[in-house]
Amino acid sequence: MKRVKRNWLIMLAFVLLLSACSSGAISTTTKNSEKDENSEPTTSDPSSDEPIKIGALLPSTGVYASLGENVMNGMELYFEEIGWEVAGKEIQIIHEDTEADPQVSLRKLRKLMEQDKIDILTGPISTAVAYAIRDEVDKNKLPFLVSHAGGNDLTRSKRSDYIWRSSFSSYQIGHSMGQWAYDNIGGKIYLTAADYAFGHEATAAFKDAYTAAGGEIVEEVFAPLGNNDFSSYLTKMNRDDIDGVYAFFAGTDAIRFVQQYEQYGLKGKIPLIGSGWLTAEDTRPQQGTAPEGIIASIFWDYSLDTPENKKFVEAYEAKYDARPSIESAEGYDAAAIIAKAIESLNGDVSDPDRLVEEISKVELNSPRGPIKFDQETHQIIQNLYIVETYLDGDKTENKVIDTVPEVIDPGK
Amino acid sequence: MGKQWVKGSLLFFLMVAAPFFVSLYYVNIFTEILIFGIFAISLNILVGQTGLVSLGHAAFFGAGAYATGLAATHLSTNVFLTIVIGMLLAFLLAILIGFVSTKAHGFYFLMLTLACSQMVYSIIYQWTDVTGGSNGLSGIPAPSLFGDFILSNQVFIYYFTLVVFTIVIFAVNRLLQSPLGYVFIGIKENEDRMKSIGYNTSLYKNISFLIAGTLGGLAGSLYVFFNGFVAPTDVYWTVSGSVLIMVLVGGAGTLWGPVIGAAFIVVLETIISSYTESWMMIIGTAFILFTIFAPAGIAGLFSRLTRSIFKEKPHPVEKQYIEDAIKPMKRQSKING
Amino acid sequence: MDTLVLQLMNALSYGFLLFIITCGISLVFGILGVLNLAHGSLYLLGSYLGYSIVVKSGLPFWVALLIVPFVIAIIGLILEIILLRPTYKLGHLSQVLLTFGLAYIFHDLFAMIWGKNIMTVTPPAFLSHSVEIMGNMIPSYRLALIVVGIIIAAVLWYTQEKTKWGAVIRAGLSDKEMVGGLGVNIHLVFTLVFFFGSLLAGIGGVLGSPILGVAPGMEFNILILSLVVLVVGGLGSVSGTILASLLVGMVETFSRFYVPELSLIITFALMATVLIIRPQGLIGRRA
Repeated sequence: MKRVKRNWLIMLAFVLLLSACSSGAISTTTKNSEKDENSEPTTSDPSSDEPIKIGALLPSTGVYASLGENVMNGMELYFEEIGWEVAGKEIQIIHEDTEADPQVSLRKLRKLMEQDKIDILTGPISTAVAYAIRDEVDKNKLPFLVSHAGGNDLTRSKRSDYIWRSSFSSYQIGHSMGQWAYDNIGGKIYLTAADYAFGHEATAAFKDAYTAAGGEIVEEVFAPLGNNDFSSYLTKMNRDDIDGVYAFFAGTDAIRFVQQYEQYGLKGKIPLIGSGWLTAEDTRPQQGTAPEGIIASIFWDYSLDTPENKKFVEAYEAKYDARPSIESAEGYDAAAIIAKAIESLNGDVSDPDRLVEEISKVELNSPRGPIKFDQETHQIIQNLYIVETYLDGDKTENKVIDTVPEVIDPGK
Repeated sequence: MGKQWVKGSLLFFLMVAAPFFVSLYYVNIFTEILIFGIFAISLNILVGQTGLVSLGHAAFFGAGAYATGLAATHLSTNVFLTIVIGMLLAFLLAILIGFVSTKAHGFYFLMLTLACSQMVYSIIYQWTDVTGGSNGLSGIPAPSLFGDFILSNQVFIYYFTLVVFTIVIFAVNRLLQSPLGYVFIGIKENEDRMKSIGYNTSLYKNISFLIAGTLGGLAGSLYVFFNGFVAPTDVYWTVSGSVLIMVLVGGAGTLWGPVIGAAFIVVLETIISSYTESWMMIIGTAFILFTIFAPAGIAGLFSRLTRSIFKEKPHPVEKQYIEDAIKPMKRQSKING
Repeated sequence: MDTLVLQLMNALSYGFLLFIITCGISLVFGILGVLNLAHGSLYLLGSYLGYSIVVKSGLPFWVALLIVPFVIAIIGLILEIILLRPTYKLGHLSQVLLTFGLAYIFHDLFAMIWGKNIMTVTPPAFLSHSVEIMGNMIPSYRLALIVVGIIIAAVLWYTQEKTKWGAVIRAGLSDKEMVGGLGVNIHLVFTLVFFFGSLLAGIGGVLGSPILGVAPGMEFNILILSLVVLVVGGLGSVSGTILASLLVGMVETFSRFYVPELSLIITFALMATVLIIRPQGLIGRRA
């Protein structure tokens, strides 16, 4: 019995000690519901010298780690250029690793919101992660600038007042190629992609545009994500009655598909077109000479000949001793948009509704050309470029051969 | 028994009081620990009690989660209805997989559960129209309690989970002490002997599998309430590996061990991973150290510690269970002569 | 008809690669009783080292093929001596868990040394073109893989069936204590088998990297594949592993060709079916 009494006393003392810390969950959640009615500031005090905190939910481990790293590089480059300061306020990026896992991302988001008290959120790479955190972001009125994840629904059925996307939508990638392919490649195309939502959405958009222009999709085949061996699919595609193959693959899939496209004799015989990730700066070095002749649609390319891009590329290579990738450009632009919005508010990020409004009004000449937001869908409006890969010595390079201007996502 | 009651109620009151003192961030971590605690407890019935090491438990978690999520999205958000649907699907899946798997032993059982779980994963991944495919099922509405009362506040979800967890702990505790529980332990210790006494071990193994699977489904349902989201990554075999680590590091065969293991892993994955990217290495090293030096898990370490602090007479709990299980056998053999 | 020939060639090359990779884990499991869940990690280490030698240092492919397997084998040796040998008394399950923890550690070590990017290794120049067979273009590297696979399979089969060492192995698979009782140093056998298994993992790592690529996290995919082959073929026997690897290679290749959406499910269904109908595998020696 004595032991029980002692235990009770210990527990009581412990509880009293804890009650001294008044930042209990009960008090904050009740404050939150009051906040909804009064719309009082919850994050940083506008008049103080508190830094502005940007939460970056990006993977640094797992299969998308290198993409996450590139986005971070782009963001950090931009902020370094402006001295990590906007309108007199210091900028801080708090990076959390999503591991491209939706469950982990939710956890990290909660930490960023409740512990770090971020003012604005950016990232992620994976669409699954974006969908997973969408409700939480919306419920908490957290301004969220999506800097990669391209799932269509994020700016359609899952749209939110607080979610704005500066990267791309699968639709924009696929659709922009459709008419061009009909005009320049031919009337019969074989469709292939990795079997996940991104692959399906991009190819569906291509199919819509292509068939509307008058083309015919003779067949479609989807390979499992992370597939090693495309030989079975390549055999099927190796036909004499088609004008080209449209392929959507990224990362390792892109490396292997393009290599095997050459190995199995289709290169040079059947034109290969697709999305820019087939021939991205970070995949081409691994593909040898195989990507020669591929034509792709993408919203930014290393070879884009504009003063903004030249400046960006030079700065990036000087700082990181490597070429920027598509994701680097996305990070850079996201940082620029955030900075511009903060500047229009004079550094006062206390009101999420005003912050989101300023983001929506941003128009920039970014390294990828002129960009602005669609006020209804919250999706970025940007140019898509038709890029061709050619041989330069024993390496390959891209060049822009055409532009599809101001591609707008339909929003449904 | 009295002491256990006191300790248990103390803990319960502490948990109830927690949201008044700690921030929402930690309350959410507690909720996760409770949910994965239930998941680990469910696997413990199979692994710790019945001795069937399975690498396919994620299948039931996924079944419960997806069933509940789909029910909440398309049918009704009534929390009881959605939980029942989740557990029902897990139950049916457990009948199917259990029937097929319990015929195998040891390594083969392990592989078979792995294969079945991967098949469930593949089906969920491919069936995009229903499950959302690789993007997962999102936008799942918050559960509603009695008609209009919606559990949208994270603290309410924490309390609901706490109540469910308490019920589960009570129920499983009763199970561990019941004749059925002893049969499970008997099967783990020596299946042939149990068979020779006349127990239909195959039936009991299936029952164990059913209970474990259904409870796993419950954990999945709670998970969906907590996150409002579920993805195929939550059904991949690494999740089965993770919960197995929870059971083994926490202490297989004990009541609280799996919960401690769950807390261990959740804390590592959330808090530690904010400080270092190499948290997998930490888990791996810890796992190796535990396997070599503390095979009874954290629970084992703890009971050794308290015994040496309070200088209790060593009171090997498991030995007690075995004595009790063997008693009827001893009696029987005395009768048989 | 000719596409079928092409698919057959693909299936064979994929199957033989699987064989080389799985043989190591199969032998170790059969003899030591330890399911080495770090086997995929050893394979990946082989690929990473091969990458460093071929791509980073610019040395020719055959140098990697010669050096890397021995490095991996030595690492395996060290692991066996410091981790497995002192813990045999803990039981098989514990040792499996040890290897699982090891796999986690390796994962982060690889990321620290080689980074997180996905990389490929180019095959040697004389094998980088394609050959025409019956109207189809087939990469010559894959044909070379079939040849190498057949050679290795033949050597291993011969060793196991016809030599004294093989007899010791076969006996050890059936009855370890007896073999010990007959005066064979069973611990030495264990260490040698683990050395050899790791050697094979290293060979697989170098040979496989031009086809499968080198990416963080792929060790778990490779591991799952080896487990499927292991289950289908039965434990410890070389002939079982050969048969199972080719079978799994065929099933995966052809299912991807005919029913791509179901190919994932079919592979695991095969695994489950074998486990249910014939748990000891096709040519297994233990039930």
